[in-house]
Amino acid sequence: MRNRCIKFSLLLLLAFGLVSYTIPAWIGDPIELKIPKNWPKPTYDFSRNPLTKEGVELGRRLFYDPFLSRNDMISCSNCHLSFTAFTHVDHALSHGIEDRIGTRNSPALMNLAWGRHFMWDGAIDHLDFQALAPIAHPAEMDNSIEKVVQKIQSKPVYKELFFNAFGDSTVSGERLLKALSQFELTLISANSKYDRMILGQDTFTDQEQNGYRLFQKSCASCHTEPLFTNLGFERNGLPIDTTLNDYGRMKITKQPPDSLKFKVPTLRNIEFSYPYMHDGRFKKLREVVNHYAQTTALERKIDLSPNEKVDLVAFLLTLSDKAFLFNPDFSFPRF
Amino acid sequence: MKNSIVFLLLGLLVGGQAFVLWHDNASMVSRSSDAMRMIHVQPMFQGKKVVLDEQMRSQGGDPLKLNTLRFYLSNFVFLKNGAVVFEEKNSFHLLDLEDENTLDLKFDALEGRDFDGLRFKLGIDSLTHISGAMGGDLDPTKGMFWTWQSGYINFKLEGTFKKCPTRNHEFQFHLGGYLAPFQSVQSVQVKIPKGENLVLQLDLSPFFDQVDWVKKYSIMSPCKESVEVSKVLANSFSVHAE
Repeated sequence: MRNRCIKFSLLLLLAFGLVSYTIPAWIGDPIELKIPKNWPKPTYDFSRNPLTKEGVELGRRLFYDPFLSRNDMISCSNCHLSFTAFTHVDHALSHGIEDRIGTRNSPALMNLAWGRHFMWDGAIDHLDFQALAPIAHPAEMDNSIEKVVQKIQSKPVYKELFFNAFGDSTVSGERLLKALSQFELTLISANSKYDRMILGQDTFTDQEQNGYRLFQKSCASCHTEPLFTNLGFERNGLPIDTTLNDYGRMKITKQPPDSLKFKVPTLRNIEFSYPYMHDGRFKKLREVVNHYAQTTALERKIDLSPNEKVDLVAFLLTLSDKAFLFNPDFSFPRF
Repeated sequence: MKNSIVFLLLGLLVGGQAFVLWHDNASMVSRSSDAMRMIHVQPMFQGKKVVLDEQMRSQGGDPLKLNTLRFYLSNFVFLKNGAVVFEEKNSFHLLDLEDENTLDLKFDALEGRDFDGLRFKLGIDSLTHISGAMGGDLDPTKGMFWTWQSGYINFKLEGTFKKCPTRNHEFQFHLGGYLAPFQSVQSVQVKIPKGENLVLQLDLSPFFDQVDWVKKYSIMSPCKESVEVSKVLANSFSVHAE
């Protein structure tokens, strides 16, 4: 009897041991991103970083944590505030740690799962790596990813959050960046009046409709629907600001044809993402439209009458997505 | 009956541990058995092993000192008469002269396989560059990833050399870049002689001979020179049996 018992328990044990050894680390509740109807396939490879509720929560927490900066004062949200289309309003050039001023206007964050290049000059080619730049920039967070990992590892609250997201509490650069990506990937804006009009759930006024027609004629080759960007780099006819001497894409490629080319930004939520252009030189949407109607530096001249300019702006305002801007899942998390 | 329950519980406890131990031991055994082959990577200069922070002299007699030497070797493929006999999976190795352990590359599952050649890359390939954040030797906390512009630093060499017209004669080479026309990753193919203890030597002498030190003492972004210098380094590998 005892012998049988031992044999039985050994057998059970082996089974138990095997099972416990082969179960993969628990990595939370999977989330499937809702891709808006008729949109292209996202470029982000989710198979390498599957979204989970816990991963997104960790990313959101990191996004809003000033602990990422050298002096614990600056978080991602300082320059990317949810209520203003995840950008830094009022300042032509965004400022970071100790009020140091950078050289460009912070970009609005949305629909990043479709992004191929990040930053105005496309210096970053993958969303995961984007956060490395502001973390290390002396005028932004003035820190290093190595130090951030050490700091986060020493903060007790993150032990549980990393455990929940990745199956153990170890902090690494890879995990930190992937968690930030997870949160950022959820920032989808696709519920503007324009979107509802496309889905037949809303109608444009005559003015908005005329603005849409003008937009399609003169702007859509770069600001292509539905993302309102062709995701490429274009010359926008702006003269060089000699106090900055920012030649855009050429800084990265070192190819003269790329001189003064900048990444085409999305126009979604543009009502809220002022000031405009890479150096924030225009405070009002009206000024941007005036620039494009005046410049002779574009491949094709854009002709707009004063009334047409007003109509075009009316259309651009249909790209505002309040459900996105005030989504409680995107704002400062309650700690 | 009571006894048997106690036995069962005890067994569960001990057995679970035993299995884990057995499993760990089993994998340890396979790591140290004949199945595993080790290749030691040895940077050389003027016929001598490179030691960090130790004064060396160039062929022309100019003193030089290396403070940092770190580089990626990746995509290891073992060959016999040009045919592939073993290809390492997830083959990324960050070698750091500061840490001896990183210079010993261990390859499992080479048991009974005959090989006479080795193919690998100096640096990280383009596909890996666009695959997002990675862990292990590729973790961006390793100090081998540029922050202001995407890209791994394939090869990092820092030190002082009398020929440099810089402050304290300092030089820095951070070689990388994965977008055309500045793709710096280099393919290397070397013959492997017969013998037990294999040493993959990287001779830095051609690098120091060929760089124009008056003009080029600092590369820290993808550029034409980064590609040129990477090619010189890629041609400076050889395998020796000791």
